[in-house]
Order: sequence, then C-alpha cells, then structure tokens
Amino acid sequence: MKKIPIKFTINGQQREALVQPNDLLINLLRDELYLTGTKYGCGIGECGACTVFLDDELVLACLILAVTVDGKEITTIEGLARGKELHPMQISFLKNAAVQCGFCTPGMIMTAISLMKENPDPSEEEIREYMRGNICRCTGYTQIIKAIKEYAHSMKG
Amino acid sequence: MLKKINKFEYFAPSTLAEVISLLAEYKGKAKLYAGGTDVLVQMKQRKITPEYIIDIKKIPELNGITYSPEGELTIGALVTHGQFAISKNVPEKFTMLKEASLAVGSVQTRNRGTIVGNICTSSPAADTPPALLALDAGLKLVSSTGERTVKINDFFTGPFKNILKDTEIITEILIPGLPENSGGVYLWHSKITEEDETLVGVGIVLTVDNLENRVCTNLRIGLGSVAPTPMRAVKAEDFLKGKIVDEETIKQTAEIAANESLPRSRAEYRKEMVKVQTKRALSQALKRIER
Repeated sequence: MKKIPIKFTINGQQREALVQPNDLLINLLRDELYLTGTKYGCGIGECGACTVFLDDELVLACLILAVTVDGKEITTIEGLARGKELHPMQISFLKNAAVQCGFCTPGMIMTAISLMKENPDPSEEEIREYMRGNICRCTGYTQIIKAIKEYAHSMKG
Repeated sequence: MLKKINKFEYFAPSTLAEVISLLAEYKGKAKLYAGGTDVLVQMKQRKITPEYIIDIKKIPELNGITYSPEGELTIGALVTHGQFAISKNVPEKFTMLKEASLAVGSVQTRNRGTIVGNICTSSPAADTPPALLALDAGLKLVSSTGERTVKINDFFTGPFKNILKDTEIITEILIPGLPENSGGVYLWHSKITEEDETLVGVGIVLTVDNLENRVCTNLRIGLGSVAPTPMRAVKAEDFLKGKIVDEETIKQTAEIAANESLPRSRAEYRKEMVKVQTKRALSQALKRIER
C-alpha cells in the first residue's frame, strides 16, 4: 500500500510524515513521533487513555485515521508544559495525589482541561459526567475529582 | 489485536457525486468513514474488513443543521452528537434529540461520532433512534441510480441490520415540524460498564388539543435497547390517543408500552424500567407543553 504524505502541527511545531492509510493517530504519535505520553489502553474508545486535542476538540487518538490529520493541529500531554513549568492542571494532579500508576493520567488531564474550557466552575456531578469516558483503575476517582475542583477554585482567584 | 486495522485503499472525495460513484464501483467492499467511532472499532474487532475506505468528512454539503420556515429540521450526515447538542440552529421543541445525543458515549466519542453514523450502525441500544422514532424522522438515501426517502420506522430490520444498500449513503435526517401543543422528552439509563451502554431508552412526542382539555391528539413512543431493533410502542400510542392525559391514563399507557417491549436479556427488569421511564417521560412531556 502506498504511503501518503501529511503535514500537521504537533504541540506547536510543524511536522511532516508518511503514513499508511491504516495507520491510526495513536500509531503516528507513539511510534513515529515518539510522543509516548499518550497511552494505548483499550483501543476501542472506552478507556480514554489516548485522549488528545485535535484542532481544539477533545478526541481519541485510537479511533482516528492518521491520514485525516493532514493540515490539522494536535496537542498531546507533552504540549502542555511551558519549558520546565508544568500546566496548572498537572500541578493540581500532583498536589492532590490524583496519580497512582499514571497510565490514565495524560488522558484524564486532557479531558479535565477541556472541561475547564467549556465549564470553568463545574459541580462535582458535572465533573463526573464529563470525565465519564476516562477510566481509572487505581484511584477510585476521589483524588482526581478533588484535583479538578481545586484547579477550578484556584482559577476563580 | 486491537492495535492494528486491516489494510485498505483510502479515498477522500470532495463531492457527493464522487462518493456515490465510488460506492457503485466497489459495492460491498467499501465502507463510509465519518466519525470513525463505530467503523474503526468494528475493523479492530475484525467484524468488518473493508478493502476501501471512503472518508466523507471533506464534503461540506453534508455538514449542516437547518431549520426551515415550514418548521422542518434537517441534519446532515457529518453532524456530530457534540455539534448537535450545542447547536443554536435547533429550536427548543427539538431538545429531546439533544438529550439523546448527549446520552451517546463520552465527550470524546460525541465530538467525532455522527447522528447518521449512530443510525447506520443500527445497534438495538443506540440512543438517537428512539428519539428519532418519536419525532417521525425521515432519512434521505442516495445512490448513483437515484434517491429515496424512508421513515426511520421502516429502516431497522434486526440487530445491527437495516435496509441501507451497499451502494447507498444516508445524506440527511429530515425531521418534520411539530404541531402546536407538542412536547418531547428522551430519558435513558445505562448499565454500569466501561461503555455505559444504554439499558433502556425512551423517546416521546406527545401532542394535546389544548392545555385546558389535555386530550391526547397524537403520541409517538420510541423505545431503545428493549427489542432486536429500536421500536415504536404503537399499542401504547393508540391507547392514549383521544383520551385525557392524566396520572391514571399515563400509568396505563406506560404499562402497555412495557408489555409490548421485547427485551431478551434482563427482560423482567427492562420491562419494568420501560414502564417507569415511559411514565416519567409522559409527565415531563406534558410539563414541556405547559411551559
């Protein structure tokens, strides 16, 4: 099968790649660009571990053909920090011990940031509903919810 | 197994004419790709192994939500659940379809998955079909040999089966205007699993003559996840028509709906929940008319 050239922006940088039609966005991120922060969990859109932003929209990298990101902008967990300074949501997750094994964390943080953009002051119920597509098998979610709440609170100033 | 999908040739046409000519050429060997949230999962699970993928996302004419002066709502094939749920082009009377769209999957899958895709997959547990059944939606099916419009009530033939031919594409959903004094509601609740699949979904559009008499002049009930396909509860609909809508007739209608539902697994519980949800949905629909 002939490879297809694509151009895209990843975490603010312009890149080019040659992809197979059946390559998924997650294959491109992890195997070509070595951005392994985005995790491969279930592979069928149920766990949320591969959540990234595609043109500012929250999506699952395991359910997108790589060829379709031509001309688009992707942000992964690696694109959140400014130099050595972590994103405030990452800091809030650390402070609240919202990370145990860490496998779900990148996806959780991407979804949490998307929630904050849509609804800066969510109730606990709204947080839980929004985070429905991100599964954690360690924490029992308590500390994750707390981290998001604390972030929202700190942003109110 | 879930990491890779089979090899295929990829097309991304920019016109509908190209899509239908590709479909005509490759017949059963091609699959349409829009959101990918069902198609790629089916490919990963090797339920389907298409030789050609036709990406329809680059066809602007398929991406629109329009509300006509005659009161008809048209939803293009590329409209995602997320896009529909926040659309300002959707009048309040069609809120129930927003409720059904928000019941689908998660934020991430709603941002990609389309309403038309939800119909094409034809899962018995899908959320938008019961709402669309209650809204008496039509579907526009287009192929290289012509087009036809079918009611969604005639579309599903079995679990994950429908009347769509492999040369056809659904280009849009057509929702007729609602008469005055109509109210619609979609209620659902889910299994508690990783995908929160809907256990019972109930979509209702109720019309009464006026707010004083409250005589039911029309009723459509769409049920999801309680039969091999999304279904209409026609016996319950017929029962309430011509009667005054009050607590007692709502209760009876809900019981009839539960009895005509055909759940296989967890049948007793699902039937009971059809009763509960239909009752709630009817009361809420009435409240929405009053508002």
